[in-house]
Amino acid sequence: MTGISVSSARGRLCDPVDISDHRNNTAISAATETRAGAFNVWRNSFAAEYLPAGQSLVHVDGVPFEFPPVCDGPDNVRCAGQFIRVPVGRYDWIHVLAASERRCEDTVELNFADSSVDAESLRISDFWAAPAWFGEVRAFESLVMHYPHHVQRGIPAVMWAQRVPVTRRADLTGILLPRNVAVHVFAVTLQRTEL
Amino acid sequence: MTVDATARTYMIIGPEPELWYRDLISCLQATFGSVLTRAGADPLEVLGAGWRFLHLPGDVRSEEFYYPCPPGESEAADLGAALAPHHELHARWWQPADENDVWREVRETLAEDRLVIAAVDNYHLPFRPAYGDVHAAHLVVVYGLDETRGVVHVSDAMPPSFRGAVPIKEFLRSWGSANPTDVQDAFFSDSRIDRRCLDVRLDAPPPPLTPALLGGFLRTDVDGFTTVGSARTGLAGYDEFAAELLDRCRAGDAGALRELYPFGWAMQAQASLHGELLRRCGRRWEDPALAGAGRAVEAVAHAWTGLRFTGAHGLADPRAVEADIAHHATVLRGTYARAVDAVGAAAALL
Repeated sequence: MTGISVSSARGRLCDPVDISDHRNNTAISAATETRAGAFNVWRNSFAAEYLPAGQSLVHVDGVPFEFPPVCDGPDNVRCAGQFIRVPVGRYDWIHVLAASERRCEDTVELNFADSSVDAESLRISDFWAAPAWFGEVRAFESLVMHYPHHVQRGIPAVMWAQRVPVTRRADLTGILLPRNVAVHVFAVTLQRTEL
Repeated sequence: MTVDATARTYMIIGPEPELWYRDLISCLQATFGSVLTRAGADPLEVLGAGWRFLHLPGDVRSEEFYYPCPPGESEAADLGAALAPHHELHARWWQPADENDVWREVRETLAEDRLVIAAVDNYHLPFRPAYGDVHAAHLVVVYGLDETRGVVHVSDAMPPSFRGAVPIKEFLRSWGSANPTDVQDAFFSDSRIDRRCLDVRLDAPPPPLTPALLGGFLRTDVDGFTTVGSARTGLAGYDEFAAELLDRCRAGDAGALRELYPFGWAMQAQASLHGELLRRCGRRWEDPALAGAGRAVEAVAHAWTGLRFTGAHGLADPRAVEADIAHHATVLRGTYARAVDAVGAAAALL
């Protein structure tokens, strides 16, 4: 695990976004109940013991995130075109905690108050023993991989901190996630434009 | 090599095989990478030199190491030539000729100081996560055989990587497995292992990779993408493949999605290696157009993720995922078109 730090100047500009209504997948499980997790098609999952406490405020590379519930129902949004409404305002970056079932890049659509829409790339590396192919920050790492019937050493599961730019100088109203079941979003934080 | 007629111990000379791995490759590229490294070649330069689309209807097998490989006009399919069309890499499948001495060919190959690539069923291999749990066809490198101690020396770069001794008894169960249908693995079970092995040879050392040489490779591959042939190759071949995939989803044919996973892995792995090689050469030769073309080819690999995994998660109800399959097939088609354009433009300047 890296990047847990004291609040920074950037942190003061950041607001975690509530995505609880969209969570539809359980990617984290306890060692005593590995069958409860199903991040990928093989029903592998992150080991809870290596991750922060559920619903705690965590900082990764100076950015605060609200960590999802752990072992208490769905903990992430498996992307299927969900629309996340955000507090209307000017933002520079959308920070996410995310992981992908294989290395993946897809598109999020940023909706603005003036009715404009910009497509931006969301690039997420593989959660399965992989490097940060897109230059993400390795936010959290489960040193073991949970299988439905056992705990596997030697295969880490990685959660990445990635960011998406908001280039338009207009009020953001929402984010349309991609229709891509490989991509899982655990937390979203908006970084306001410094005025 | 150590040969003692009494001890019956066979081991390659020098260090154990190198574990060669990238996150988008399968055991096929990983095992070939080990062989190539041992031959003194750079696996990325050999396995990443070619880039093609080829779909062979009815040919896809439920194995992690499936790769489309057309039979030659006068000879059996050459998997090495399919993986590395611009190099003298050759590979043929073989099985033990004598049921009463199944190790004979392995001994002979190791005695020539050459590696053996063996097909296995992960269910029977103690170091694989699927051990005792899930049947799945896989490839490993065999680099030693000690019949006195009763062990086979095996190397596997796929996580969790392993290099070491496996009891002969367990290896034989894995090597000879029927790999029966397993509901936990719809993509790599139900394919007999039958003690298959690959004999891989690099007949000529790869020449130094120069801009002129790479330019020739790229122009050949771009021609392959833009020329309509009788087989399902290139962009036209992709369109045929995608149209059939959608038709089969519409008809509720789960087999289409079961085949999509291993077939897509072959195309995805190849694109990822080709893209990485082009980016690396672009950086080395200070050619940003080539580096950008490499990144465009990598985008193809990344777009395969959406298609493959939409199919994998939709296996139970192909009709329900038809719209999402259509979406990802369209996205992937767009990345192919952009990448072919970018590679063609970069090649013209090499």
